[in-house]
Amino acid sequence: MGNFSVITVSREVESLGDEVALRLSRVLGYELINREQWMALLEGHSPALSPEPPEEEGERERWMAEVGRLLEELAEKRAFVLLGRGGQKLLARCARAFHLLVVAPVPVRLRRIMERYRQDEVTASRILAEQDRQRERFLLRFFGVDWRNPLHYHFVLNTAFYDVEESCQLVLEAMKRTRPPSSGQQESFFTREGFLEKPVVFSHPSEEEFARILDFYGIRWLYEPRTFPLEWDSEGNVVEAFAPDFYLPDFDLFIELTTQKQRLTWRKNRKVRKLKELYPEVKIKVVYARDYEHILRKFDLENNHE
Amino acid sequence: MSDPRLGVRVFTREEIQRRVEEVAHEIDRDYRGERPVLIVILRGAVYFAVDLTRALTIPFDLDFMALSPFRLGLRRAEIEKDVDVDLKGRHVLILEDIVDTGLTLNFLVRNLERRLPQSVRVCSFLNCPVRRIAEVEVHYFCFEIPDIYVVGYGLDFRGDFRNLQEVYALYDPSGRSTQVLKQMGKGR
Repeated sequence: MGNFSVITVSREVESLGDEVALRLSRVLGYELINREQWMALLEGHSPALSPEPPEEEGERERWMAEVGRLLEELAEKRAFVLLGRGGQKLLARCARAFHLLVVAPVPVRLRRIMERYRQDEVTASRILAEQDRQRERFLLRFFGVDWRNPLHYHFVLNTAFYDVEESCQLVLEAMKRTRPPSSGQQESFFTREGFLEKPVVFSHPSEEEFARILDFYGIRWLYEPRTFPLEWDSEGNVVEAFAPDFYLPDFDLFIELTTQKQRLTWRKNRKVRKLKELYPEVKIKVVYARDYEHILRKFDLENNHE
Repeated sequence: MSDPRLGVRVFTREEIQRRVEEVAHEIDRDYRGERPVLIVILRGAVYFAVDLTRALTIPFDLDFMALSPFRLGLRRAEIEKDVDVDLKGRHVLILEDIVDTGLTLNFLVRNLERRLPQSVRVCSFLNCPVRRIAEVEVHYFCFEIPDIYVVGYGLDFRGDFRNLQEVYALYDPSGRSTQVLKQMGKGR
């Protein structure tokens, strides 16, 4: 269908996402990968991969890279509809994948649960809340995504207004009309939250660690987004400049992180002083090695810090 | 205390008691006629919360919240223990042991504000503004401390020292903490 040989379907509980995925796979003749097929696919891989992402972060990163590669290779050979499993994240970089989110308002989903399982409203609402929470935690914990964020998808469908057949027609129409992003854009469209367009290459491990702490608390940041000229020669060429490590847009604050010993920071301090003189409106905070140690100690990260 | 990991005593039991009572009076005054929800952030703020609430005369509801600690492998902070009361339209007062980077508190305040309370304020036993990264307003605090690592009265180091009745600086072999505290007029 158009440029897409893969559809990933993320769906809220009782949003008709499963039905839409099944119908799409039949209409298009795409293979449906649901939980059973997923397990067979990963366990049949050599070496076998666990169907769930591992708890440990390093292992999980490797798992994600390996599974992502497996799915991308599969997308080269076969057309398929992937139901759930964090497909929107695993195939975020794959230009052949169309990412669909199926949602429905809570009262609509509640009614569907009551009808399907013949449950009263209280029981149905408990089931719905529990399953919503499980799904949310799974994706946040293992894939680091707020999966309901519409920016992770090409198309978001609210099935309060359409039945399964109409939903499929809308998705097919959307797939036909979706222009593939230009080379390199796909990744930034789906993989990054906040302000970042590209994955960041940090110049020091402590910066990466600090960024993770900020991410953990949902604080948005940019890495070295602005270079401040500090000194010019007689011809107006910049001869000295300073690019603080982080900018936190929510606090309009630049952060300079330094793990040097305090007595070696005089050069940096001088630059910060100059920056404050030349750009008095700019808020900057220097996190010295000592401050950083406090932060690490507070988060029990000392032992992991090089 | 003879534990070698402990350095200079920063606040005595009497100083703590006096300040906690003073802060309780401020809260009594500001919330007169109201019934705020006091949310104790587990686990460090428990000791402070017990003493503070005993010194309050206004009525209040007490609840607890716990946030998942930062650890490798967990990408986002999660509320591990949430409050049981509905916060909509209520005055909320968060009780913390210490506000330093402000990262945890900023996360909590944003989370609580989404529940449409009438107000959200922060009361912390200690305030360490020199370490602040995320902007947060601390409306009430007992003591402001410089850039030193302290333990006791709920504050821990790797799980230890929470139950100390006084506040100590963690032993700092560089001598810097002692120096800073001397400037504050504190010493053993």
